[in-house]
Amino acid sequence: MRGAGLSGIGGVLMQHTFVIAEMEHEAWLSRRGDGYVLHVGEKAIPIALADAEGGGQVLGLGTEICRVLIAPDGDLVHIHVDGSTFSVRYVDPVQRYGSHSGGSADDIAEAPMPGVVIAVHVKEGQPVETGETLMVIESMKLETAIKAWRDGAVAVVHVGVGQAFQRGAPLLSLAPQSET
Amino acid sequence: MRRIESKIDTSSDEFRLNRAHNRGLADTLKERHRAARRERPVRDLDRLSRQNKMFVRDRIELLLDPGTPFLELSTLAANTEYGGEVPGAGIVSGIGIVNGREIIIHADDASVKGGAWYPLSVKKIVRTLDIAIENRLPVVHLCDSAGGFLPLQADIFADRYLAGRIFRNQSILSKLGVPQIALVLGHCTAGGAYVPALSEYNVIVRGTGAIFLGGPPLVKAATGEDVTVDELGGADVHTRISGTADYPATTEEQAIAIARELVGQTQRPTKLDVERIAPEPPYYDPDELYGVIPRDIKIQFDVREVIARLVDGSRFHEYQPAYGNTLICGFAHIWGFKVGILGNNGVLFNDSSLKGAHFMQLCNQSRVPMIFLQNITGYMVGRDYEHRGITKDGAKMIMAVSGSEVPKITVICNGSFGAGNYGMAGRAFDPRFLFMWPQSQISVMGAEQAANVLADIKIRQLSREGRSLAPAEIAAIREPILEEYRRQSSAYYSTSHLWDDGILDPTNTRNALAMTISVALNAPIDRPHYGVFRM
Repeated sequence: MRGAGLSGIGGVLMQHTFVIAEMEHEAWLSRRGDGYVLHVGEKAIPIALADAEGGGQVLGLGTEICRVLIAPDGDLVHIHVDGSTFSVRYVDPVQRYGSHSGGSADDIAEAPMPGVVIAVHVKEGQPVETGETLMVIESMKLETAIKAWRDGAVAVVHVGVGQAFQRGAPLLSLAPQSET
Repeated sequence: MRRIESKIDTSSDEFRLNRAHNRGLADTLKERHRAARRERPVRDLDRLSRQNKMFVRDRIELLLDPGTPFLELSTLAANTEYGGEVPGAGIVSGIGIVNGREIIIHADDASVKGGAWYPLSVKKIVRTLDIAIENRLPVVHLCDSAGGFLPLQADIFADRYLAGRIFRNQSILSKLGVPQIALVLGHCTAGGAYVPALSEYNVIVRGTGAIFLGGPPLVKAATGEDVTVDELGGADVHTRISGTADYPATTEEQAIAIARELVGQTQRPTKLDVERIAPEPPYYDPDELYGVIPRDIKIQFDVREVIARLVDGSRFHEYQPAYGNTLICGFAHIWGFKVGILGNNGVLFNDSSLKGAHFMQLCNQSRVPMIFLQNITGYMVGRDYEHRGITKDGAKMIMAVSGSEVPKITVICNGSFGAGNYGMAGRAFDPRFLFMWPQSQISVMGAEQAANVLADIKIRQLSREGRSLAPAEIAAIREPILEEYRRQSSAYYSTSHLWDDGILDPTNTRNALAMTISVALNAPIDRPHYGVFRM
């Protein structure tokens, strides 16, 4: 039965993922009675956290009780416990399970709307850095900069200054990235 | 919800140039606000102190709970009209906290033309009371007006949304059970007399406060009767004899103390139960907005960079991230309030229009207030797009925005041109509030496009008469059109005519949104229902 120990059906569970010292850890917090239970692997441990007098917090984990100091810092949470400090980063599940494979579409900038090229800032073969403006197009009173979406080298400039194009037309390609 | 990853390089020249430019615009705005609020001819301030009356700003400060925010609305109303001599249209309007309750203030500014009501003063009071009705906000009226500005009487009196609407709105508020408290701090003459009379409670200051349909000179002319202000409509007449006023006060300070007590007795509204979590500042500093907005309105920017600097933790759940990319839709929190955001990222195409109409229905379905971030040059034109039905897809957006029941709040961040203004909850579509950023522009089409169209018409007209125009002559036609168009499409012109509720410094937008969402939740939200979507 799913839920009791969080490990009944043998499949992957969508638990929270944390990175501590470059290692991924999975854990889940569930409610039980008045408090919470921490699930790590097969283990289910009652857990409680309360503000301590004079700063910091008191963490109860199973039968153990210890003082901790928790300091959020952007995406990280620094936890000081027992003389050691751990930096914990929460990993967003949508990002974690996203695929990172780059297809050929990643090499071509397509026209977001029909328009005219008003400037080309790069030459074929030129190396470019992410964020660099490659080309400026104009359409419906708007100037849009086509910027390098990754580091690479310009492979083809498909349209030149003054040339008109339809929506979806290739504007500029970067050389394909070699797989590493 | 994931944090938006900003792609802006805050150390780039572009960013620094934008920042310097937009900070300059924000400083100008601040200075114009200050002048409209505080700068008065000495003789007007002298007259106030001779009459033993407080300046309107001091009255408001005394009324509000110390240390609480006050969101002033339409501070620069009338800034381009009446020779610039009627700052704020002679009215102060704004949302603040009195005795722990959200209220809206309508205050006549007697330091401006004796508090006379100009056409735009009437428009500002009507708008203030419309806001009170739509958001069920109790009203405190600080009355001190010389009456209607008679040389312009035709523009203040008879039409549907002119002065009569003030009293109609007051009656509707009362019918809805939204209380009004009026302080009579000067004369309430003719129409103005109805403001305290139509309020649930009113307080009148002995010596300076008076209410009458016709003042002593009018009475003298009409019937020959000689009567003093006090005998005709002073504090004692109305609190002891006529019952038109409720509480006499010996000083303005006492009147304001009584008003605070009265507000404290009103029933606290039950706010709509929408999702609210612990607030969190944006991860990206809102101050960076100055560097995000381009110096030239023609340059496109990613609205996600704006969203990242408005919402809690810069976190945004983007809806349909791969579809209709010229309209960015998604959910976020602002000061803990859950909101649906629609922000333009280019021209509206068929797919982005459908996405927008669909997303608005999602927000209505789950009762999430909607924030519209406008930067729109319009719907796409051309044969392909007409064949694909760009007009009927735009119509779907308009149908969805008009039929929406959840509160809408609109910020015009940059351009607002053509029908895009409509589909994105422009003024005509009853957003609860609409604000502009200082550099934004609003008009039926771009200035250059309009000047070209008008110049073309003129050239064709002349060529039919067998005349042709030299380039200098064409420029002579275009330039004045361009100039007039630029003037009328500026944010200052818009706010002067109350097409919006004020110009915001971009970095104040997050707080203004939070306050307006909070008051918007005082009113009930109906179940969603719409007209016919042309498929």
